[in-house]
Amino acid sequence: MTFDLTLSSSDLLLLAPEIFLTIWLCVVLAVDFTFKQIDHENLAYLSVGGVIATLVNLIWFDYTGVQGALFKDMFVLDGVAIFFKIFILIATALVLLASIDYVKSFKFFRGEYYFLVMMSALGMMFMASAQDLLSVFVTLEFSTFGFYILVAYLREDQKSSEAGLKFFILGVFTAGLLAYGISLVYGETGTLVFSEMAATPGSYGLAIGFIMIFAALGFKIGAVPFHSWIPDTYQGAPTPITAFLSIAPKGAALAILIRMFYVALATFKPMWVLLFVVASILSMTYGNIVAIAQKNIKRLLAYSGIAQIGNVMIGLAAGTKQGSDAILFYLLTYLFANLGAFAVVIGVSNLIKSDEIEDYNGLNRRSPFLAAAMLLFLLSLAGVPPLAGFIGKLYIFVAAIEQELYTLLIVGLINIVISMYYYLVVVKKMYINEPHDPTPLSVSAPLKTVIFVSIAGTLLLGIYPKPFIDWAVSATLMFSNVNAPTAAVPALASLAGG
Amino acid sequence: MGQLALLATLFAPFLGAVVLLFVPNREPLLVRAVAVASAGMALLASLYVFLAYDPDQGGFQFITKWAWSEELGIGFHIGVDGIGAPLVFASTILLFAGVFISWHIKDRTKEFYIFLLILAAATIGVFMSLDLFFLYFFYEMSVLPMYVLLGVWGSHTKGYLSMTDSEGRKLRDSVGFILNFGSNSKEYAAMKLTLFLSAGAVFALMGILLIYHFSPVQTFDILVLREVAHFDGTLATIIWLLVFFGFASIAPIWPLHSWSPVGHAAAPAATSMLHAGVLMKLGHFSIIRVAYEILPEATRELMPIAAVLCVFSIIYGGFVAYFAKDTKYVIGYSSSSHMGYVFLGMAALDYISLTGAVIYMFAHALATGMLFAMAGWVYDQTHTRDIPSLGGLVKNMPFLAGAFIIACMASVGMPGTVNFIAEIMIIVGAWEKYPFQVVVAVLGIVLTMAYLFKMMRGLFYGNMSPEYAHARDTSQWVDRLPLLVMIGCSIFFGIFPMHFYNVVRSTVVPMLDRINQVAPVVTQNTTGLFP
Repeated sequence: MTFDLTLSSSDLLLLAPEIFLTIWLCVVLAVDFTFKQIDHENLAYLSVGGVIATLVNLIWFDYTGVQGALFKDMFVLDGVAIFFKIFILIATALVLLASIDYVKSFKFFRGEYYFLVMMSALGMMFMASAQDLLSVFVTLEFSTFGFYILVAYLREDQKSSEAGLKFFILGVFTAGLLAYGISLVYGETGTLVFSEMAATPGSYGLAIGFIMIFAALGFKIGAVPFHSWIPDTYQGAPTPITAFLSIAPKGAALAILIRMFYVALATFKPMWVLLFVVASILSMTYGNIVAIAQKNIKRLLAYSGIAQIGNVMIGLAAGTKQGSDAILFYLLTYLFANLGAFAVVIGVSNLIKSDEIEDYNGLNRRSPFLAAAMLLFLLSLAGVPPLAGFIGKLYIFVAAIEQELYTLLIVGLINIVISMYYYLVVVKKMYINEPHDPTPLSVSAPLKTVIFVSIAGTLLLGIYPKPFIDWAVSATLMFSNVNAPTAAVPALASLAGG
Repeated sequence: MGQLALLATLFAPFLGAVVLLFVPNREPLLVRAVAVASAGMALLASLYVFLAYDPDQGGFQFITKWAWSEELGIGFHIGVDGIGAPLVFASTILLFAGVFISWHIKDRTKEFYIFLLILAAATIGVFMSLDLFFLYFFYEMSVLPMYVLLGVWGSHTKGYLSMTDSEGRKLRDSVGFILNFGSNSKEYAAMKLTLFLSAGAVFALMGILLIYHFSPVQTFDILVLREVAHFDGTLATIIWLLVFFGFASIAPIWPLHSWSPVGHAAAPAATSMLHAGVLMKLGHFSIIRVAYEILPEATRELMPIAAVLCVFSIIYGGFVAYFAKDTKYVIGYSSSSHMGYVFLGMAALDYISLTGAVIYMFAHALATGMLFAMAGWVYDQTHTRDIPSLGGLVKNMPFLAGAFIIACMASVGMPGTVNFIAEIMIIVGAWEKYPFQVVVAVLGIVLTMAYLFKMMRGLFYGNMSPEYAHARDTSQWVDRLPLLVMIGCSIFFGIFPMHFYNVVRSTVVPMLDRINQVAPVVTQNTTGLFP
């Protein structure tokens, strides 16, 4: 296998967003080192500016239809890649803004924080373009590297160090699994590129290899049974990083999952449908039931995130183009609702230094704005109209019923009711209970911006989702042919659908 | 014009809620003014819709249709037929009255009105949705504001605050209050109501998704589906059962009613009014809209289920209401008992009884709205809902006592009120098919008289406890206006029912023709339940 790394200027165009962001994060670091007296807040705005410029670049790509592949298909820029890159960058920009107040509590390394966040974002952008197992491995490790440091950023805090260690050990372990899985797959197929694997006959080696790769990616998205690191890591990490961790890596890993299963494993669809049906039922049920018992809001959102990923996997279990459209749209709704909820958590913890749900008592009296925002985000996560989450869930369910996955549908619908309980318990604390300490809370301007953007997204996607649905549909045009039924589908699909 | 009026009815309360976001909480008068303005606008617009509905033409009128998502086959498609129009009108009457009834709420006035307006607007939205997606959208949207309304502005049942569990903790602080089935707290009531109705809603959603999947056209549009979609056999039975029990849980039909009395008891007066008055009718209405329109054959085969269950609703609700000691429990159980009449009228699949059922929904909305409004006033004055400890209030509240008597008469179905017309139509129409149920229903009316008069005597006559001597009557116009509006409507339509009757009948007749005259289905197993 030889690589010829000749790059033409048109090839460089495809890499422009990544190259720009790479330069920009170096600039941020250089400014931080050179001008010691510069306020970290300005560094944050500098970083956000770079992220937004990259975002504009990508939107322009999407608008003009710039697409292509580089390095023997290792790096591909298509609709899905552009969608997920935009997804990741929106999350990054909002997380950077939401971090500003939080970073004030750091004693050291305030500037590096922004550098590391952007570096992780860069890694995840490459993940969204990976169409080759080798690049999957490299980009996945690249993006996780930044997170290892960021999770353990609060050096004085034991919980943060514990979270970092847990995340690191399990992360390295799954990296090993991933590498082993890749080697097995390469041994069976003789290739690393997804599209070339499509014709391979099935074998045990291939199945074991892909299950290992699935495990590694399942670790990233936090699907049961690979979720055990999530609650502790979420609780211990600095809250903006928790928010980032709960959204962006999940998006990037799902980009790889969709590509891998839709392209490389299209012929084995009946098998992996079963895999996703089981993982989805486990994630939804486990996440929702365990969330009921949580007393810490970050842990509650961690378990709710596990359940939400269960919902996303319903789309993968459908295994159709409609399923992938639904996943893309669902992730957008999840982005705004979850990030908004974390923004409120950041706001509250900046002011009262606590993440206990008990301390949300009477939030409506202390800050009607924060309470109302939290109400919207939680109800969107629960899937209540007219908010975004409802449309997302409905889209996923429509994709599932078109494939007649009735078991999955019933479990998903019952889980909506279960999840409503613990979201409403938080609403009860905020609205019904009286505050222990009635001093009013005020929110800083950058955080307010994040919350307003999230509210706007949550309402817009709920009331007028048409452009976003259209975007999701056009982004996944390349999966139009996955609907073609294979011979083995009916028997196994009926098994999966019960 | 009618189209605009219909849109105004739907969007005026939403707009009011949005405007209220920008009104500062320290100006309660402005807050109330905005609420009154939006509710009043909705009331006038819906009155226009109701009067302008042309019974000769029939069918769906004032239709607005905007594409919403072609990808999923969803359109924002609204319009009213002879069933939707009166119910939209009833919702706006109760919203308008509710805004005035809540005039004296001091705690977080702004938030209260925002949630109340959203609740009413969502309810109105269901009554005019011609798209299954939006029907569900508004349905679910109307459930959630109830949680906050009950939880924040509601009240506990007597003695609740002093109740402790075995370890001496106050019950309201216990984490597992959802599992505490003996609890009478408002938090418990709110959570139970929300979860119960959401559970019902997801079953209905399952049915809706099955309709969507198995129809030849991928659309949620009811008007398209009723023409092109035909379901028979087991599939039709499954869909029908999901839709019926999913929506009947809010109605509430007998074994699914347990959320309703606790919910009514805990809710603030205006919420109880809207809840018992129109929210419960969402169930009947959605069953008519989905099951009667899209699954006519299954409806004909399976509607006897409702005829069986409604007997339990009527008798059970009536007896519990007779023995209840809490004013709101009495009215709440009386509501769930009276909803049995609607199911009886629907189940008979007869022109007269179904028309009666629709008029009954309207009539019950007014009657129960009045009762809840006045029970709320008595509670505000005396801070108790315990009937045995009250009494003799007629001396302090002559106006209210008079209005209460009229409301009880309306609820019983006195000639001269619209309830009488509705009841007599249900009884006459259902007689041929379900004579046993009709006998029960008539006995139910006697039972209604018994518990309402018992409550009336307990509240207003007899000896007054001196601690309630300070209780005063409704003296300001803001307090009397809502009662007068509701009484006026009830009596006006009781005396001049013809337009109302024509409007309802224009829709009911073709609908029942479709159900009763479609060719008998050749099936093996759908009729197994009721041979």
